[in-house]
Amino acid sequence: MQNTLYVPGNSWVHRLDPVSKILLTVVGLVLTFVLPGHLLPALLLAAMLVLLGTAGVLRRVWAVFAGVALIAITFFVVQGLVYAGNATPALTLGPLTFYREGLLLGLRLTFRLYNILASTLILILTTRPSDLVESLVRRGLPSRFGYVIIAVLQIIPIMVEAAGRITDAQRSRGMETEGSLWVRMRAFIPLMGPLVTSSLIATEERALALEVRGFASNRKPTFLNDETIPSYAWPVRIAALAVLLLGIAGRVMLS
Amino acid sequence: MASQQKNVWAFRFTTLSLVLIPVAVGINYVGKLFAAALKLPLWLDSIGTVLAGMLAGPWIGAISGAVNNIIFGITADPVSFWYLITSIVIGLLVGYLAMTGWIRTFPRAVVLGLIVALAAAIVSTPINVMLWEGTTGNVWGDALYTVLRDGGTPVWIASFIDELVVDLLDKVITVIISFLIFKALPQRLIGLFAGTDQVEKL
Repeated sequence: MQNTLYVPGNSWVHRLDPVSKILLTVVGLVLTFVLPGHLLPALLLAAMLVLLGTAGVLRRVWAVFAGVALIAITFFVVQGLVYAGNATPALTLGPLTFYREGLLLGLRLTFRLYNILASTLILILTTRPSDLVESLVRRGLPSRFGYVIIAVLQIIPIMVEAAGRITDAQRSRGMETEGSLWVRMRAFIPLMGPLVTSSLIATEERALALEVRGFASNRKPTFLNDETIPSYAWPVRIAALAVLLLGIAGRVMLS
Repeated sequence: MASQQKNVWAFRFTTLSLVLIPVAVGINYVGKLFAAALKLPLWLDSIGTVLAGMLAGPWIGAISGAVNNIIFGITADPVSFWYLITSIVIGLLVGYLAMTGWIRTFPRAVVLGLIVALAAAIVSTPINVMLWEGTTGNVWGDALYTVLRDGGTPVWIASFIDELVVDLLDKVITVIISFLIFKALPQRLIGLFAGTDQVEKL
């Protein structure tokens, strides 16, 4: 696997501190559910894409967007056919009739899906996972749990490599990995078993190595890097909160 | 599985149990990889969470589930953050039942699989309804949803069935595989994680 979705860069969004970016994501997610109709969610998506564009990460965004296109299509098909409020036939394909109300709901759900993705991607595409974890540890996340998150990202490539070795070893002993479903099903255990056992045995060693380095110590750790918060962080945070209040106020006034 | 009743819910965040969490997430990931490589019609992507629950109890199981979805959200699919609670519930349930010593035999492992599938569907349904008006994004489940809704089934029930048929076989087989692997583990490893202070018997 490519390690994470993170795209290295030096845009203003990349340089923004993780907490401000978490705020942007939360504002985006709240607005996704607060904004009514079709036009406002479309505008939100456009605004998010502009932000992602200034960060220079649009290429990765399209890849993620394309990955869930099938889900968006099922929204249109399922809701167009069977949404409870369906009344006005819009389109007939053979025996199937798609209704206007359901298709519009499909459109709203599609905007919702892509707004959720776009909001989350602002944080994920532009923040190195270790920076995000370090920033959260500074603000009270226990450093042991911070370690757990970072360790996963390091351990997965190692385990994938081990998985490849085990597959080769079992194949050389004559394990069949092709054929009927039952044959393939049975191959799963001799692949998974050694991987689980060997990685569990390795945890003991890793735990000892960590203990030796003071992992379980209760002293307050210091940080290797200083946190840099750019001068425009506060204007961005205030603007994000202003947009959030505007969205909520608009929703309250309209309903 | 430790059979003593006392403090199943006690927090035991030893270094060893914390180190187990990344391994559990890695096992989830590789399980999914093997299932795809063998072209199995299943995900098998929660074996690590289930094993973590069996080895180290409900809290480590739950954290493994949570971290799994966070990592999957960062590395592949940001929608998985929303299903965090489902993974947490799986880890809690398996961990609790394992620590009370309930999962001793193969038939009980099958029943546990059914319980896990049911619980996962119960927790996921409100998320599916709230986010997507009930569909799950799985083509076969959603086709069933469409047929059920067409026949007049309420959204919540159709959505629950949509999720359950997708989950049922996958979760039952996940738990069975985890159980078989767990049974085959060296006793020393099991004692190590259960924190029963058992010393290796010679």
